[in-house]
Amino acid sequence: MNVLLKSVKLIDPANKANHLKKRDILIKNGRIERLAARIETGSNIRVIQQKGLCVSRGWFDSGVSFGEPGFEERETIANGLATAARSGFTTIVLNPNTHPKPDSSGAIIFLKKSAEGNAVDLIPLGSLTVKSSGVDLAELYDMHNAGAGGFYDFKSPIENSNLLKIALQYSQNFGGLVYSFPLDRKLAPKGIVHEGASSTRLGLKGIPNLAENLQIKRDLDILEYSGGKLHIPTISSGAAVKHIEEAKKKGLNISCSVAIHNLWFTDEELEAFDSNYKVLPPLRTREDQKMLIKAVKDGVIDFVTTDHTPMDIEEKRLEFDNAGYGSLGLENAFGVLNQLFGTEMAVDLLTKGKERYGVANLPIEVSEEACLSLFDPDVSYQLNKDDLYSTSKNSMYLGEELKGKAIGIIANNQLII
Amino acid sequence: MSELSVKHLLGIKYLNEKDIQLIFETADHFKEVINRAIKKVPSLRDITIANIFFENSTRTRLSFELAEKRLSADVINFSAAQSSVKKGETLIDTVNNILSMKVDMVVMRHPNPGAGIFLAKHVNASIVNAGDGAHEHPTQALLDSYSIREKLGDVAGKNVVIVGDILHSRVALSNIFALQLQGANVKVCGPRTLLPKHVESLGVGVETDLVKALNWCDVANMLRIQNERMDISYFPTTREYTQQFGINKNLLESLEKEIVIMHPGPINRGVEITSDVADSGQSIILDQVENGVAIRMAVIYLLASKIK
Repeated sequence: MNVLLKSVKLIDPANKANHLKKRDILIKNGRIERLAARIETGSNIRVIQQKGLCVSRGWFDSGVSFGEPGFEERETIANGLATAARSGFTTIVLNPNTHPKPDSSGAIIFLKKSAEGNAVDLIPLGSLTVKSSGVDLAELYDMHNAGAGGFYDFKSPIENSNLLKIALQYSQNFGGLVYSFPLDRKLAPKGIVHEGASSTRLGLKGIPNLAENLQIKRDLDILEYSGGKLHIPTISSGAAVKHIEEAKKKGLNISCSVAIHNLWFTDEELEAFDSNYKVLPPLRTREDQKMLIKAVKDGVIDFVTTDHTPMDIEEKRLEFDNAGYGSLGLENAFGVLNQLFGTEMAVDLLTKGKERYGVANLPIEVSEEACLSLFDPDVSYQLNKDDLYSTSKNSMYLGEELKGKAIGIIANNQLII
Repeated sequence: MSELSVKHLLGIKYLNEKDIQLIFETADHFKEVINRAIKKVPSLRDITIANIFFENSTRTRLSFELAEKRLSADVINFSAAQSSVKKGETLIDTVNNILSMKVDMVVMRHPNPGAGIFLAKHVNASIVNAGDGAHEHPTQALLDSYSIREKLGDVAGKNVVIVGDILHSRVALSNIFALQLQGANVKVCGPRTLLPKHVESLGVGVETDLVKALNWCDVANMLRIQNERMDISYFPTTREYTQQFGINKNLLESLEKEIVIMHPGPINRGVEITSDVADSGQSIILDQVENGVAIRMAVIYLLASKIK
């Protein structure tokens, strides 16, 4: 792939000489050959020139779901990765919510092979326990060697404290990353939305912040005891942040993420019982939203995730109680973050977290492999169905006014726009 | 001619005060009709109504059916036990199949909150919510307010306490919305375990002492303990519940003033209310049942007039 990016603005704070400057970038065979204010080339090079076009290091998402194998009607790996590419992502971590659950090295190898040759790198997560049933540990070491980026019983809390302790201890000799979903189900046996004024008005069963905070406190105490690497995915309660902050001060090896929709929406959206707003953890209050945004700005929350979860219409066009959890999130990620935090910080957030999963954060420099995200931070639009590349269309962002749009990527010697 | 501001009756929170007044004035007329020798009017001869009940119900279903028949509507009944829902059919398909038989209006009871709202978005018929999970039961709240108005002349300014299982109760939620819309003051009373944690966000007072609550109120609406909705024990024994939140004749007579006793039924005699209270002159429980038919006639009549 040979391409010349003409007059693109670089958003790359690590590279002071080029940061916020307009540059031409010549890429040959997937490598950056020249980077200069002006480059002239022959006619055999594809030139990309577009008003407002910006370029940054490749974007990363630590929690994306597709459907293959088992739920191809939701999303296939091929179209899921194409969606990620057009949404500006060069690497995604794939949640282990397929059928069957990826609880063996064979399943991890299948997922890696399915993504081979793609522009987007895929890092699969393996199940923490056999069939994600929360009973016996899966073969973590074997999955780690096959390329699993961590171990997660997708959105199932680890009820057995001893199991979490053992997982954290066992995974230490190979540096495995253990996920623990922050929810104490006993405090919210039938809960589906945030417990608060909205759930009270709507008669929907609530999940109190307490159920999240208590589980996180327990997890951190166990981590302090056992050592190991722990990741708390998708925290939603503002109060949970302070526990993470304290744990970090103690030097525990802890990271956490927040779903972008918890930064953008609150439980006030539930009024019309629209199942696209049914997500787990649930949308919470304005107060939580404010605290989460602050924690992202302060760096207490390590990274943001789209928590992209395609669900086909049969799972969503149901009574709210019976509908599946999840919303699309890749397509709107940049538009939302750009609006919430400004372009530089949005890019910072989208490139964070790679080191936690051993992903190289390739710089934009001559002779380096080109791993770039392309985007326009100034375009304003209302998100509609045509903006959704996913097979499923369950986006809670439909109709939202956004500013900033991903255009595509250059990665693995491919250009996707 | 006045008409409702809504096409469906999905919940009290979607109505305005004028809607409630219109429903009450229409119900006044129908109450007179059902006390005539010939209790029937030909108003809805060209309307077909399906009563679709995905949850068990006796009195609400009978009350709706009677209301529909007294308006001369054609009525079909459908309950989940006999339905294809158990064979995996979705709610939308089930209802659309019924509507294909040229049904104009659907009265639905469903275990899931918001089911009526969901249905109204996806099918082409007028929907009446006859109870959706712990969300709303609008006709019950309307008949309750109507009964207060009939007994005390007005709802505005009255103090009403709702006693019992507020956590699992659609009757409580709809009553709170309806009473507040009409200017009544509302408190809830029950063990903390049966009050939603954020119940104050509804703008109601909370009282956990039944005697204080009864001394404050003009009307006490005693709710049934809904054991069938409880996944765990919210109180140790029924006996202990009754000691704290049951109302008996002695308690009633010890109050500083005469209050009105209501109950949406079915009554657990000896639990939330003793027989001598339920059958006393202060109780309007059977008036509520009679008014239920008039209110449901009014709602169906007014919604049907929007179909035409």
